[in-house]
Order: sequence, then C-alpha cells, then structure tokens
Amino acid sequence: MHNKKLLVAALLLPGAAIIAVFIAMMASMVRYSFSPGGVSVIGEGFTFDNYWKFLSSWFYWSYLFGSLRISLYCTFISAVIGYSIAYAMYRSGPRTQLIFGAILIIQLFTAYVIRTYAIMLLIGKNGIINKTLLGLNIIQQPMRLLFTETGVAIGLVMVSIPFMVFPILASLKNISPNVEMASASLGATPMRIFWTVTFSLSLPGVAAGVVIVYLFELTSYIVPGLLGGGYADMIANFIYNKAMRSFDYTFASAAAVITLVLSGIVVLSLNKLFDRLTRHERA
Amino acid sequence: MSVRKTQHLGMRAIGGALILVLVVPIVVLIGVSLNSGVEQVFPPRGLSLRWYENLANRSGFVEAARLTLMLAVGSALVSVLVSLCASVALTRFRFVGHDVVLTLLLSPLIVPQVVVGMGFLVTLAGLGIFNSFISLALLHCVITLPFTVRVVLSAMSGVPNSLEQAAQSLGATPLRAFFQITIPQIAPGLAAGGIFAFVTSFENFTASQFLVWDRTTLPVAIYTSVQTENDPTATALSSLIVLAVVLFIAIFNRFVAKHMFSGG
Repeated sequence: MHNKKLLVAALLLPGAAIIAVFIAMMASMVRYSFSPGGVSVIGEGFTFDNYWKFLSSWFYWSYLFGSLRISLYCTFISAVIGYSIAYAMYRSGPRTQLIFGAILIIQLFTAYVIRTYAIMLLIGKNGIINKTLLGLNIIQQPMRLLFTETGVAIGLVMVSIPFMVFPILASLKNISPNVEMASASLGATPMRIFWTVTFSLSLPGVAAGVVIVYLFELTSYIVPGLLGGGYADMIANFIYNKAMRSFDYTFASAAAVITLVLSGIVVLSLNKLFDRLTRHERA
Repeated sequence: MSVRKTQHLGMRAIGGALILVLVVPIVVLIGVSLNSGVEQVFPPRGLSLRWYENLANRSGFVEAARLTLMLAVGSALVSVLVSLCASVALTRFRFVGHDVVLTLLLSPLIVPQVVVGMGFLVTLAGLGIFNSFISLALLHCVITLPFTVRVVLSAMSGVPNSLEQAAQSLGATPLRAFFQITIPQIAPGLAAGGIFAFVTSFENFTASQFLVWDRTTLPVAIYTSVQTENDPTATALSSLIVLAVVLFIAIFNRFVAKHMFSGG
C-alpha cells in the first residue's frame, strides 16, 4: 500500500515539476502586476495602480474592445467557411477527405509566421488580389488591404480555419445516417433536414471550434503584427510593446492578467451559450 | 456510392474552392522565393535559386535554425517521457486528486501565449536569468506537455491492464511486462505525441519572442526579417520549411490524421 503511493508519486513527479515551473511563472507575474512601477524585485510593494491605470482609461479599454470586436466577426466568418469545408468533406468520398485533410494538416503544421507572411504577399499593394482585380477592371486603383483592419481580418480568418474544420467534421461524422434517412422518409425537404437534423446535431463541434478560434484570435499577435503593421494592434501587441519597447513590466503584467481574466470570461460565456443551444438535443 | 457522388455537388464544389483559397498563399510564397530580382512579385520575374543560395550567407538564420531544432527535439523527448510516466499513474492506479492532476497537466493550453510569455519574462528577469537557451527550454517543455499528455494518455487508455497482468502471471516482472507488452502497443501514440510536440515547439512565436535575449528562434528571426528588410531570402527559408512539411505529410498523412484528435 505504502509502496503503491510512492510509485504514483514518483511517476507524477516529472510532470508536476514542469507544471510547477509554469504555475510559479504565472503566480509571480500576478504578484508583480501589483508592484509599483520601477520595482524590479518581485514581491516588493503593493498597489492597485497598474490596474487602476488600465481600467480607468478609455484608450486602454479600446484595445480590449477592439480585440473582442474583430475576433467576434472573424470567428463568425471562420465558422461559416469552416463549416462549409467540413460539410463538403463529410459528403465526399474517402479519397477527397484524405486530400482535403492533408491540405489542412499542412496548414496546421506550417508556422503561423510563415502562413501570415504568405498572406502578406497576397494582399499587398502589388499582391495578386490587387493585380487580378485591376487586370479584370473591377477596381481602378489598388485597394489598401495590408496595414488595415480588413487585412488583419483576412489573415485571422485564413489562419484559423483548420481549427474550425476538424472539430466540426468530427461531430458530423458522429451523426448516424439513419437519422437523416428517417426524417427524409417522413417527408422532410433536404433543406429542413439539414437545419433541423444535421446542423443541430453537429452543434457540439461548432461550439468546440468557436471556443478554440475565438480564444486564438482574441489574443493573436503575429497576424495583427505583420498584417496590421502597427495600424491595427490588438491586445497581445499592446502587452508586448509595453513590456519590450517601453520596458514597463509591471503595467504589462497587469494588462496580461486582465487579458487572462477576459479570455476566461469569454470561454465560460461561450460554453454557457452553447450549453443552452444544445440542451434540447441532449434532453 | 454512385448516388453519393452526384449528391451535394454544389456544396462539395464550394468546399473545394474554399480549400483552394487556403493553398493560394503558399503557392504565391514559393513563387516569390524564385524571383531573380529583389522585388517580391508574383508571378516571379525570371526564375532563379539565388535567394536559396543566399541562405548560406545568412548566419543569423542558420544559428536560429539550429536552436529551434534543438528546442523542438529536446522538448518533444522530455514531454513524451514525462507524459508516459504521468499516463501510467493516471491509467493504472486509482488515487485521490486524479482529475485535478489531469487538469493541471493540461492547464498551459488554456492560458493565451502572450500571457505565458509575459509570465516567463518578468519572472526570469526578476531572477536575473537572461539566458535564452535555458529560458526557452523551460518554456517549450511547458507548452508542449499538454499536447503529449492528451495523445499518450489516450493511447494508454486503449491498452487494457489485463494483458500486462497475464504476462506477469506467466512469470514476467512488472517492468518487463510493461516494456514488452504495453510499450509496443502505445508506440504509435508516443510517436504521434512527439510529432505534435515538435511542431508546437518549432512554430511557437508569441511566447518565445519575450525570451530572445542572446539567441533567437527561427519564427522570431523570420518575423524580424519580414518587418525590417525587403529581401526575398525570408521567402526562400519559409518555402523550404513549407516543402519539408508537405513532404512529411505526403508520407505520413494517414498516420497523422488518425492521431490528430485522439483524446482531443
């Protein structure tokens, strides 16, 4: 009995060590966010000044609201596109599924920096979007996409689509074909079958995708950094600039803690929302 | 099957078109890297491999690649071994706080990368540790662990303990039973966990950029190069990485796809 406890402890020890490092880093950041500016020793002084400074200024709030707003509509667009791709895969043969899957996994395995850089080449002033539209005489002057919010939105959507497709596809595959056949035999139109049966039953996958993508987009750094070029900074860029350009560690720590709390609230509310939406399915 | 082929044609065409849109940037990237001039245009004006040759002159990129590979291999090995130990405890023994342990092991996943980076920065700076290698090694073990735990734990849960017990009843020691019965069965899971950890570490940017005091990683070097210089060498480097990924997936697609979301 004693031996067994010792063995479990020994097996868990390496993992505990790594998680302890992580928790220590987070805890000391939280502690540091309560230190007055200029203090370099963690644990010295105590003040709410950093939080007060952030929360009392509309300018700082605008980073939070801006990030929440842009990632809200980008998550919606990603969900629509992601669902279309997942649905197309679900309705295709195994070969097509394998090829589509391979393209998506290649996207996931290629560093975000590289994918974002590639999108940058696409939407620039001389990128192929502008060149094609100019060539087709749809526009007379090159559109300004790079270094605008539109450019950032295009990047966020393209980068997050794989995160959306896989959970949706997984829940589509869980639906028994009999359910659709049953509703067809009872006279439901294909449109009605899709909305009341297929889509409703795939909602858990949509929920998982939306939570992952919203959290990812809300705190993304690379896309607004490269495609926004300083004109469309989001909250992560703000934290980085405060820490690494202004060297205001205490204030940046407070902003990071606020971001962590905000993303926690977002995840909890999304879970609650989807819980309500899918409740009648499980009942 | 033939009915299925003609059904939903419109939806499948839309899906295919959307997938193609995701491929376009990658094609443009590779095209731009083949330019013979310094202009980053697509289609390329004149084909050449000069930007690939130029990579050898960019010692910064070579240095960064070495560090990135070291971190990725190292953190993948550590995370797989640590996850294996933890998974044995979690699947083979009942103990108080089982669920708490699992939640804690997965906890780095739910904290945004920028917050993780900030925590490492202020803590390590406060301790006076400005060594990028040590700091990044710690960071990468933390961020890869949840991925390996998920995959290895799900592999371990698939192997019934009864097989090991049978081996033991035939006279094998518990250790020998574990290594000869269980390990071969979970080997694919260990490999998949290692691959995901390698990729997670290799492509990490947002948290790592806080810790590049004396050495830098490949994603950070590419980002800096894109922001500060106008030279297609970064496109050549990025294309090489893309080609490596494409080659890897071309060979191991089925394996990766199968393990992609096990336990997720």
